[in-house]
Amino acid sequence: MSEVRLTVEPRNEFGKGAARRTRRAGKIPAVLYGHGEDPRHLALPAVDFARVVRENGQNAVLTLDVDGSNNKKTELALTKTITVHPLKNYIEHVDLLVVRRGEKVTVDVPIVLNGTAAPGTLVNQDVDTIQIEVEALHIPEQFDVDIDGVEAGHTVHASDVTLPRGAELVTDPETLVVAVNEAPTEEAMEADVDAEGAGVTEEPSDDEGGNSES
Amino acid sequence: MLIPRKVKHRKQHAPKRKGAAKGGTKVTFGDYGIQALEPAYVTNRQIESARIAMTRHIKRGGKIWINIFPDRPLTKKPAETRMGSGKGSPEWWVANVKPGRVMFEMSFPNEAVAREAMRRAIHKLPMKCRIVSREGGEF
Repeated sequence: MSEVRLTVEPRNEFGKGAARRTRRAGKIPAVLYGHGEDPRHLALPAVDFARVVRENGQNAVLTLDVDGSNNKKTELALTKTITVHPLKNYIEHVDLLVVRRGEKVTVDVPIVLNGTAAPGTLVNQDVDTIQIEVEALHIPEQFDVDIDGVEAGHTVHASDVTLPRGAELVTDPETLVVAVNEAPTEEAMEADVDAEGAGVTEEPSDDEGGNSES
Repeated sequence: MLIPRKVKHRKQHAPKRKGAAKGGTKVTFGDYGIQALEPAYVTNRQIESARIAMTRHIKRGGKIWINIFPDRPLTKKPAETRMGSGKGSPEWWVANVKPGRVMFEMSFPNEAVAREAMRRAIHKLPMKCRIVSREGGEF
């Protein structure tokens, strides 16, 4: 995974008003912590950071040039959490974790399915990411799982995913990642609709004794 | 029709409609989802209707998840009744949906068919909605 350089500014004012001012200025409020250091509040350039996430994934290692202070410092950081607005789809806040070269970190790596399964099957992807422990500068961008032409009954577990050298699986190896099942028929789907409607009854247990109404 | 099996209190206060969804804002089970853009009470009849609309359109080969449950009763007093004499009787079971909530999810191999099925389902729902996919929007 490539290293990406970002110039960031320290933040001196806090709270929602200040955070909104930061966002209006085209920046993202962020916090940088880890290794027992005091947390530092930063403002990331919104457009640049969004491009980094889009092109290099969420696990990109960032080289932060902390600007604005007298002593210019460079920090290596990993994105821990990105808070995205549920409706407007912009990044509201970012948590960054300080990492050192050669340090092993635990990260969630996305799983991407390649190809299309055989006709008449339905692919169920149970998990989007698997957690691995890997050296900070060698985090894979994604894991590709090939499901091209696979028949019903095929399953892929976390242990089946090929990890890069030096990486260890943290997720339970028995975790089901992808299951290719037979596609349900029209009758089965209609029956499903009927089954949910039937047999569910309301059993009110209104045992409020003291509330007598006139 | 979805309805709670057992409730502690038969009549409740009307659910609050302020704010946005705190969770359930991403597609987690299927490939595509219907996301609410406005707050609304979604009745069990509307949920069922939307689900049937999707099921009938995709016919076979897909799977549908419903992420909301109508667990809140709304009451109504009979027509031409004077005020007072207590709270009306439960009339509807609704899910209190806040903006951002992914209410339905679908897994289907053909994206165009899945989107058309969801478009039909959106017409059965009482608020503005949009179709979202698992990969999520670009920032």
